[in-house]
Amino acid sequence: MDFKQQLAGELPHLRRFAWALIGDAALADDVVQDCIERALVKSHLYDPDRPLRAWLFAILRNVFISSLRRSGRSAVVKTVDELVGGEGSVAPAQEDRLSAAQVAEALNRLPHQHREVIVLVGIEEMSYRDVAEITGVPIGTVMSRLSRARSALRDILEERGHTVLRRVK
Amino acid sequence: MTSMKTIENWALHAYVDGELDAADREAIEKLLASDAAARSAVDAYKRQNDALKQAFTDVLSEPVPASLVAVLKAPTRLRQRPWVSIAAALALVVLGGLGGWFTGRDPGGVRAEVIADNAIAAHEIFTAEVRHPVEVTASERDHLQAWLSKRVGVSFKVPDLTAEGYTLLGGRLLASSDQPAAQLMYEDANKRRITIFLTANPGKSETALRVEERGPLIACYWLDGPLGLVVAGEMDRDRMMKLARIIYDKFQA
Repeated sequence: MDFKQQLAGELPHLRRFAWALIGDAALADDVVQDCIERALVKSHLYDPDRPLRAWLFAILRNVFISSLRRSGRSAVVKTVDELVGGEGSVAPAQEDRLSAAQVAEALNRLPHQHREVIVLVGIEEMSYRDVAEITGVPIGTVMSRLSRARSALRDILEERGHTVLRRVK
Repeated sequence: MTSMKTIENWALHAYVDGELDAADREAIEKLLASDAAARSAVDAYKRQNDALKQAFTDVLSEPVPASLVAVLKAPTRLRQRPWVSIAAALALVVLGGLGGWFTGRDPGGVRAEVIADNAIAAHEIFTAEVRHPVEVTASERDHLQAWLSKRVGVSFKVPDLTAEGYTLLGGRLLASSDQPAAQLMYEDANKRRITIFLTANPGKSETALRVEERGPLIACYWLDGPLGLVVAGEMDRDRMMKLARIIYDKFQA
């Protein structure tokens, strides 16, 4: 299988990672597009002994962070006011399943460094080691960010009236 | 009885995320059997993982938009993203006062980023070298300049940064993606090293000055005329901007 075919196979995961990381489906696909373009340009730097997905995630993360830095924004997030007053204030989930928009919105309220770790571990099931490589921090930092992200996310979702995450089995 | 307090909380996370080896897993399972607090923490982490995954599960099965698939079918080409123009507009505001930095359009943006990536990687690899940081030392400055100009394909002068407190160590020939590149290395009195990375800019496209920060490392990069340049080092942003400006001027001369 050539590199482009392998890349094509990773597109669904790249889209999911980007969406969860960025919180906006359209912008996420733009970032994915940039990511694949860069991956093609830099394909000679890819070490086939390493998992392709982790390599691509690292590129995607860099594309996203550069875009934030360049546009001078700390994150593509709505302000808390917007969340409380406007379209952000969704009614509590009627069913157990939270919508992607609801979760994305909750994730968007986490600091970027916490959000990327919980998305990589909780959604993409990346190992701590891969997450450390993707985000360029030691494994210990990954673990402490993950722990803080999990409790913050639980607080946010509970505060919003979602019962799913604290329901006792 | 072992309690939550004697087991680090991270071990419970690691258990949920499948990061433990068999022995540790067994130890945690033993703890869970007797410790309700640990059990409820583990359950909460698992439920949260499930909720996250469920929320984003549809995107895995839906068809990938044609525009993304098309990128893989088309010959490799770099597109201009809208935020690059936004960033260019912001850069204009920020750098406008410096005069001469900004050239209006920014068609080489992604290309410049790739060069910056390569330069940063080269900086990290070679500035760490104690015995062989450079291929050709400063004692052969004329040769260094002639050789690298010839290989890069653009005639340039190795800038003198002694007034800025940096002594030339020398340089080396490298590759930047598909073309030759030169790395010049300098060192200050405290042995802190900076590098200038140069490569030909065949399209002659121009960019604003851009800044990339990676941890303690900061790089300024730009495409201008026949060259793409990256200055990298560990220092604060203001000092790097000043230094980059001086180097930019030297390459204009």
